[in-house]
Amino acid sequence: MNRTQLQNILEQLRILLGPSGVWVDPEKLEAYSHDETEAKRYGHMPDAVVFPQTTDEVCRIVKLANQYRVPIVPRGAGSGLSGGAIPHQGGIVVSLERMNKLIELDTANMVAVVEAGMVTNDLARIVLEHGLFYAGYPMSLETCTIGGNIAENAGGGKAIKYGVTGRYILGIELVTPTGEAVWLGGKLSKDVTGYDLKSLVIGSEGTLGIVTKAIVKLIGLPTARADLLVLYKSPQDAIEVVPKILTHGVVPTSIEFMDRLSIQTSCRYLNETLPYENAGALLLIEVDGTNPEQVETDLITVGDLCETQGALEVYVAQDKNNMERIWNVRRNIAEAFKVYCPIQSLEDIVVPPSRIPELIPELETLSRQYGIQIPCYGHAGDGNLHATLVKEPSMDLETWKEVEDSCLRKLYTIVARMGGKISGEHGIGIKRKKYFQEIVNPVELELMKALKKAWDPNNIMNPGKVMDVY
Amino acid sequence: MQIVIPIKQVPDTSKVKLDPESGTIIRNPADAVMNPLDLYALETALRFKETYGGKITIVSMGPSSALRMLKEALAMGCDEAFLLSDKAFAGADTWATSYTLSTAIRQSLSYDLILTGERATDGDTGQVGPGIAAWLDIPIATYVARIVSFDGKRLEVARLIEEGYQRVSIPLPCVLTVVKEIAIPRLPTLKGILRARASEIPIRTKESFSFRPEYLGLKGSPTRVVKIDTPQITRHGKTVWVKNPEDLSKAAVEFLNFLQQRNLY
Repeated sequence: MNRTQLQNILEQLRILLGPSGVWVDPEKLEAYSHDETEAKRYGHMPDAVVFPQTTDEVCRIVKLANQYRVPIVPRGAGSGLSGGAIPHQGGIVVSLERMNKLIELDTANMVAVVEAGMVTNDLARIVLEHGLFYAGYPMSLETCTIGGNIAENAGGGKAIKYGVTGRYILGIELVTPTGEAVWLGGKLSKDVTGYDLKSLVIGSEGTLGIVTKAIVKLIGLPTARADLLVLYKSPQDAIEVVPKILTHGVVPTSIEFMDRLSIQTSCRYLNETLPYENAGALLLIEVDGTNPEQVETDLITVGDLCETQGALEVYVAQDKNNMERIWNVRRNIAEAFKVYCPIQSLEDIVVPPSRIPELIPELETLSRQYGIQIPCYGHAGDGNLHATLVKEPSMDLETWKEVEDSCLRKLYTIVARMGGKISGEHGIGIKRKKYFQEIVNPVELELMKALKKAWDPNNIMNPGKVMDVY
Repeated sequence: MQIVIPIKQVPDTSKVKLDPESGTIIRNPADAVMNPLDLYALETALRFKETYGGKITIVSMGPSSALRMLKEALAMGCDEAFLLSDKAFAGADTWATSYTLSTAIRQSLSYDLILTGERATDGDTGQVGPGIAAWLDIPIATYVARIVSFDGKRLEVARLIEEGYQRVSIPLPCVLTVVKEIAIPRLPTLKGILRARASEIPIRTKESFSFRPEYLGLKGSPTRVVKIDTPQITRHGKTVWVKNPEDLSKAAVEFLNFLQQRNLY
């Protein structure tokens, strides 16, 4: 696209959205040039950011983009971890942040209809007042939006019991890559009417269209919850308990694993003093329900099991302050490591939960082999671990890139051998595209490419994400 | 070493709702939690016991919903607890509360050290700790940030004061009210929870001790909360937009007038 073409489309966008709806000032655009991945490495400036406020405006933007063949990149809060919202080929970022309203709270059907730019936490807060719960609930809850959650099919810390975002999305309004608006799904618990296109769009990382509205399913609010913080001598000891808990009768909402390095780094970052000194790894286990006595009984059942499986100590948090204290440590691990060493590769591997114990020694081997630290934490109960490759401060950047590349290849091969995948909840984006294309079954990849070509004939909708189509 | 800790239930500050008419807190027993500042007194006592041995008794005055909080204290490692609960105790101010607590302590417990939080997060008075010391006629050190030493008879403590820390030597028995920096409260263990679950917490009434009935509850309280006001926060600011540089002085005058009208300049 040349300057004149860009000026032409911007002119038309200004007519459509007004001057406040089209930003081109580089200082303002900078914030839209990256997500939560390393900005220096993956970031790229957009040519413009536009802020539609209606579905019709989104349709018109997409039609213009097709006419001028300009790449468009949908964006929620920009809290993604795979570069999915980065305009890495330039073009126009379509920010949904001004489409952030609750359209309808339909308590008779236990659903809410929301615009895609609504902050997930705002939705959770609104429905809470009605005794309801939105359970599709990722970890970056303060900032992320429903639209972003749908694009990534986000997971988070409560997936063992409640599943991931997709389970709670009953319908979506989609603006297709050619600029047509269509509702997929509806306020329905069952729907096998034709292909399940809604599920196809969920997790497609903004490559199959822009979700503008969603019908989300709500459930009764669990009014009681409690946490266990369980200390083990070694990561292996801790992780071996996870499959046993999962088959023990009580379904926890979360089983989070943190190795010593992760918890130590986060505690130092937060100036927190959890009693981790003698432990090699910790499990953070949460149970919830509507009956406090039942929750306590469940807690004791799980805690007893942990003790019989060699726990050094089992701590209990039943009040809000203590629960917040330990979850805060878990939530801040990634942030703490960025302060410790900003150059790293935050991974998101997922294996069948029963294979998790085999994964830990493999990570330890990789760490020794490459001479780098690989702190490991994450949603052990889902088989989804955030193993993080951290650059040694003494290592030069060139060596690091080679080490990272080689180590990731090995890691992904190990994961594939266990029946796992390279991303459980962060997505492929641009960060893992190379590896994804290498490791995915070629037949599956061709099906994905054929689909993308059929939906997006001009390849303007978040092009170059997930895979290279051409 | 016999340690006694009076603790209190307060509304969970994250759930507090104010009655717009009266300005008072709408209390929901389900949302009550242990006064967060009392946890520091508990932790101080537990560490003291770990070093010097002894027994920790928890006492609270309030409705039966406070039993849950007392079990939490037992789960953390305290040895025993009782609850003072009677309609006659209701509505007590800090004077009547410290009378009731101190009478129960004097008549049923031996005590070397009485520890309290700095204040409760609801009433914010910080008067009950000193009140208990006065009723029991024993010395008190408030705002204790550190226990420096203990020789079996006297404690040396560091008090947090505006200029820094003040070292005070104080003989037992005494009352200490502690501040947050004294220790970070521990998490209860599963074993502690199970022990607390199995324990019975006795409820004591006005008949359990020989109280002077005219000192109890609302009737015995010399002070009354007459009115609670919620301050109205208003931000009626003014923005003066200037398009042309030549209008700048005019805008400054306009802005100045605005400030003068409100006695802000």
